[in-house]
Amino acid sequence: MIVCIAVVGHQNNPLYLQSFTEADDALKLHHIVHCSLDVIDERVNNPKKTGSTLNETYLGLLYPTENYKVYGYLTNTKVKFILVTTHLDVRDADVRNFFRRFHSAYVDAVSNPFHVPGKKITSQTFAERVSTIVKSFGLSSAV
Amino acid sequence: MAPPAPRTGDAVFANVERVNAELFTLTYGAIVRQLLTDLEEVEEVNKQLDQMGYNIGIRLIDEFLTKSNISRCVDFKETAEVIAKAGFKMFLGVTASVTNWDADGTSCSLVLEDNPLVDFVELPDTCQGLYYCNILSGVIRGALEMTRAWCCMDKFHSAFWCCFKACISPEPNFWCTHQGMCLVRLATHPR
Repeated sequence: MIVCIAVVGHQNNPLYLQSFTEADDALKLHHIVHCSLDVIDERVNNPKKTGSTLNETYLGLLYPTENYKVYGYLTNTKVKFILVTTHLDVRDADVRNFFRRFHSAYVDAVSNPFHVPGKKITSQTFAERVSTIVKSFGLSSAV
Repeated sequence: MAPPAPRTGDAVFANVERVNAELFTLTYGAIVRQLLTDLEEVEEVNKQLDQMGYNIGIRLIDEFLTKSNISRCVDFKETAEVIAKAGFKMFLGVTASVTNWDADGTSCSLVLEDNPLVDFVELPDTCQGLYYCNILSGVIRGALEMTRAWCCMDKFHSAFWCCFKACISPEPNFWCTHQGMCLVRLATHPR
């Protein structure tokens, strides 16, 4: 169950933040997202020497907390996507697939000539596409 | 009698040079954004887009007539069909449909279901009233004005069936809805 997704710009400014739970611990989720930015910076600045290529976009599981798992994805323009999900048997392939579709939606939103790069994404279409992707993530992992 | 020249732009479209659709969309978006930044008034931008389209249209019409080999249209209905099917197909790669004819047959709507100019575009609230695709309306206006000039010449040579003795109403309505459909309203005023 996806709890929260976030898009963070290359200066660590938030571009899009959406939670998918009714619980009122939204602040806690934002805090988790914020912490995960540090983990991403660490990963980016100290690439593991085990043969991972330099242009790896999918960062994988960033860190597990007591209730949530946090996955990261880094685009070539240093924009970060962060996915917070509750403990389930989440397959790696599903998360990669999710990020791929999310990246595609993000690119379409950013291609809008009225979107200012560096400002928040206010596109309704983007929000709808994201909720569709989030819903189908839950379904596909149940198979 | 030779069969009439085909009224669709498919054959021509297959032979013309192409450009990447996303480059085209992004370039047009950049133009509109820059006009908004420079002129600030939505009405001014609409007028400017129309003028730009007009300048394109007066040049485009020759290319269209030579490459497409379309025979003369006998009335306005045929003209609208040719614009919708052959003209748009040749230059944008999509066809429009002609609907909403009024009682006299002098005014119709061209509807573009799938408009490459508006991919990815969402108008913000500050720009309501912007006719995003107004350049297309200017192009049609420019192109049709040039053919009228041509068919007036023809009238001198006593081929009395002109395309149409018309002037296009100066305010074809062209707007872009959030779903990306475009409509243009053409009206002729027979003199």
